[in-house]
Amino acid sequence: MPKPKPDAFLPLKSNWFHILICLVEGDQHGYGIQQDVLERSGGKVRLWPATLYGSLKRLIEKGLIAESGERPAPELDDARRRYYKLTPLGRQVLDLESQRLEDLVRVLDARRRREARS
Amino acid sequence: MSTFVRGCCRAYRRIARAFPHQYRAICGDGLEQLGEDLVPRVWQQQGVVGLIRLFGDLALRLPCEHVSTWADRLREATMADDVFEGTWRARQSEPSVWKVDDRPAPQQAYLRFEPTDTGYLMVAYGVVNGQACAERPQMIIADGRRRPLLDLSGRPVPGLPAGAMTFGSRPDPQTLELRSEVDGQVLGAGRYEVSADGKTLTVTNKGSGPKGSFEVVMVLERVVRDPYRA
Repeated sequence: MPKPKPDAFLPLKSNWFHILICLVEGDQHGYGIQQDVLERSGGKVRLWPATLYGSLKRLIEKGLIAESGERPAPELDDARRRYYKLTPLGRQVLDLESQRLEDLVRVLDARRRREARS
Repeated sequence: MSTFVRGCCRAYRRIARAFPHQYRAICGDGLEQLGEDLVPRVWQQQGVVGLIRLFGDLALRLPCEHVSTWADRLREATMADDVFEGTWRARQSEPSVWKVDDRPAPQQAYLRFEPTDTGYLMVAYGVVNGQACAERPQMIIADGRRRPLLDLSGRPVPGLPAGAMTFGSRPDPQTLELRSEVDGQVLGAGRYEVSADGKTLTVTNKGSGPKGSFEVVMVLERVVRDPYRA
């Protein structure tokens, strides 16, 4: 199967974007991702379990994330948890999406400034 | 924990277990675990509305995941098979030509084709003088472009003259041709042709190596089409 190009995933689905952001700092498990998204969005975005795991499954299938083989120290680990990590493709997609959003914000700012001046 | 919350946890677990195998294989018991962890918390923080959302999410995703699984299966079933992909075994019953100066004919010979992003990875292995042996894996990129003849790590192949070039082509969908040469002199020319019914592969390989000329003609039959399918 040919490798998908990173820009083929843009614009990125909102849930996918949130999940990828969570994995930038390191491997994370489902519950950790859910809590991280909730905190970062000030409680506005809650990924309910079935939606979260559905998104994780699709991200794995598309090659944007992968199950991580590394686990925390045994005393901090829960053997039942699965950890996920960003793949190089996932990182590229995240960078492109961030760039795309930055560009949009820049355009909006420029229009607002023009409007304020006129 | 109240009896009501315990009952909700049980119900959540049961519904979570009704998700398709494909989904559960990737997520493990994460869905059940996370759901059970959330039920008491959601009940405490958001009451009935929270529980409705939690179960609603599950109830909505369940049919979606089953539909998605069925769609994947349908796509797989209707996907066209690659004519070369799989493992091929030399037929003992078919006449073959084996004229290689430094090596006796193998008692068993296999060829394995694995499709890659750019072409095929071809691996030849078998049994010679009662011992298992394998050839250097080769990439076949059938785009007609000339490339330096290197191993899979991008290093020069030992025993081959410096500056050796290779190029692959696909004159028709059932045939692959691979040729290697140095300074206009042909080192080897291989032709891999799959029969119209897709069951046999005829390999013709001719050339001249450091130890003299060689010629191999072999008919192989398909033993495994796709290793990832049952």
